[in-house]
Amino acid sequence: MENGNKPLNSSVIRIEDLCVSFGGVPVIRHLDLEIGRGGPTFLLGRSGSGKTTLLRAINRLNECFPGSETRGRVALHVGGAWIEAYAPGTSLERLRRQAGMVFQSPNVLPLSIARNLVLPLKTTLSLPDDECELRMEAALREVHLWDEVEDRLAVPASTLSGGQQQRLCLARALALRPEILLLDEPTASLDFKAARQIEDLLAELKSRYTLVVVSHSLSQAHRLAERVLVLRDGGSIEALPENVFRDRDALLAVMDEIV
Amino acid sequence: MTRPPRLEEKVVRGFSWAAALAVPAIVGILLGFLLWRGVPGLSLSLFFGDTPPLDAMLRSAPVFDGLWPACQGTLSLVILAMGLAVPLGIASGIYLAEYATGRLRRVLSFCVDLLAGIPSILMGLFGFALILLLRKTVAPVANTGLLLSALCLALLVLPYLISTTRLAVQGLPHALRLTGASLGFSHGQVVARILLPAAMHGIFCGVILAIGRAAEDTAVILLTGVVANAGAPSSLTGKYEALPFHIYYLAAEYQTPAQLTQAFAAALVLLGLTGLMFAMARCLHARLDKKWKTGTSH
Repeated sequence: MENGNKPLNSSVIRIEDLCVSFGGVPVIRHLDLEIGRGGPTFLLGRSGSGKTTLLRAINRLNECFPGSETRGRVALHVGGAWIEAYAPGTSLERLRRQAGMVFQSPNVLPLSIARNLVLPLKTTLSLPDDECELRMEAALREVHLWDEVEDRLAVPASTLSGGQQQRLCLARALALRPEILLLDEPTASLDFKAARQIEDLLAELKSRYTLVVVSHSLSQAHRLAERVLVLRDGGSIEALPENVFRDRDALLAVMDEIV
Repeated sequence: MTRPPRLEEKVVRGFSWAAALAVPAIVGILLGFLLWRGVPGLSLSLFFGDTPPLDAMLRSAPVFDGLWPACQGTLSLVILAMGLAVPLGIASGIYLAEYATGRLRRVLSFCVDLLAGIPSILMGLFGFALILLLRKTVAPVANTGLLLSALCLALLVLPYLISTTRLAVQGLPHALRLTGASLGFSHGQVVARILLPAAMHGIFCGVILAIGRAAEDTAVILLTGVVANAGAPSSLTGKYEALPFHIYYLAAEYQTPAQLTQAFAAALVLLGLTGLMFAMARCLHARLDKKWKTGTSH
């Protein structure tokens, strides 16, 4: 390493001494973490351990909640360069497009299916109509939703099933061409089959995007994860060795002990 | 196992039913009475007197003894007042809901509530005093007229618009804000492209309320420029006629039963005109909503 600040070549997200508090109550305390390219990197931990807060610290979404305060350093390697998420000159809007997010419950906008994808493209990137159409179709194909909605793009997105809505949300994030995808328990509100579809998608997407997944599902982590991190009460984070999370029983035993 | 409803429940249920039925009943009675007394007075000559209707409508021939100038006056008045009040009211409502914080927000909200409590006659007096002040200072020729009335009416309806906009925007789920932000929208874009359109229905209700209030008010215009026989409004600063004032004037000073019938017919016309403006506002709302939801307006 030439200087102390230079991150590892393969890492995409670098977090140093991160502290996040809400209304003076600390949720994340002095956390250091590096997340590598690709993934998926799974973030496990007990309810209330600060997993979601940690995820939202990456795209600065904690700032949408009252009384949030963040200190420390978060750097993302996007567009071929490192950007400091919390530096004063960083464009918040660009950062959030480059680190797209999918939430626990599908948060489709109360608009038509097509408009859910096109509105962000038009608003944030001012793309012309034909470019929007192209990106919409490409994103819907990427999440295998195109064949299901092709002939009803103008109907309200809320008429889709939960699993379809979640895939639409994923497509909406993908249409903005992010390099990092932050997924906050993306299958928690879905039934078994829909959850499996999302999991299959994540397995496909990991070659093109860096995926960071917060999850409660050990079996999901067991099946999909390339790397598993366990967060303990916002204060420390520990990477599980591969032989542990690849072995279902060992994973269960470790999680029992931790959680 | 279901138990028989208790006495209190029965009373509350009965009362709720009675209250729910009372509203349409009152509207029905009011409308029936108005139709019964007003319909016999409806005719072309009620609107245009002895002037040929086409001449009056297309070539602005003067109309004596007809409601046409008053309809034009009321329509211009409401459109002007809404033109002033709607943008200001919506902008203020958004400011209070999204940008103002802490003490400033409380003080401003209190001011809006205070404004809502001001009787309309005071708003008329304010307009009148404003003209007196202008005459003594910068504009010696200033006089009461259409624009002054519209300004005072705009002030009168402003609090409805501010409050409904504020409540409609504040009532939206936080998830909408979060979704917008996560997609890289700036705060301004979240407000303009997501929150405002999503709150449109509530805002539209405020606009309807404001239109109705502006169309019916007599006290404000009485002191700020309405006269009985001004003819069609000719300029922003000119005098004008208006339907509510016409009704008030006829009902207070009628000499013959025919004039009273004319007043009832004029009330019916005012109701129709207000209904027309509601329909126009609804149409606009539907178009805007469709454009937001699907990207097309047809």
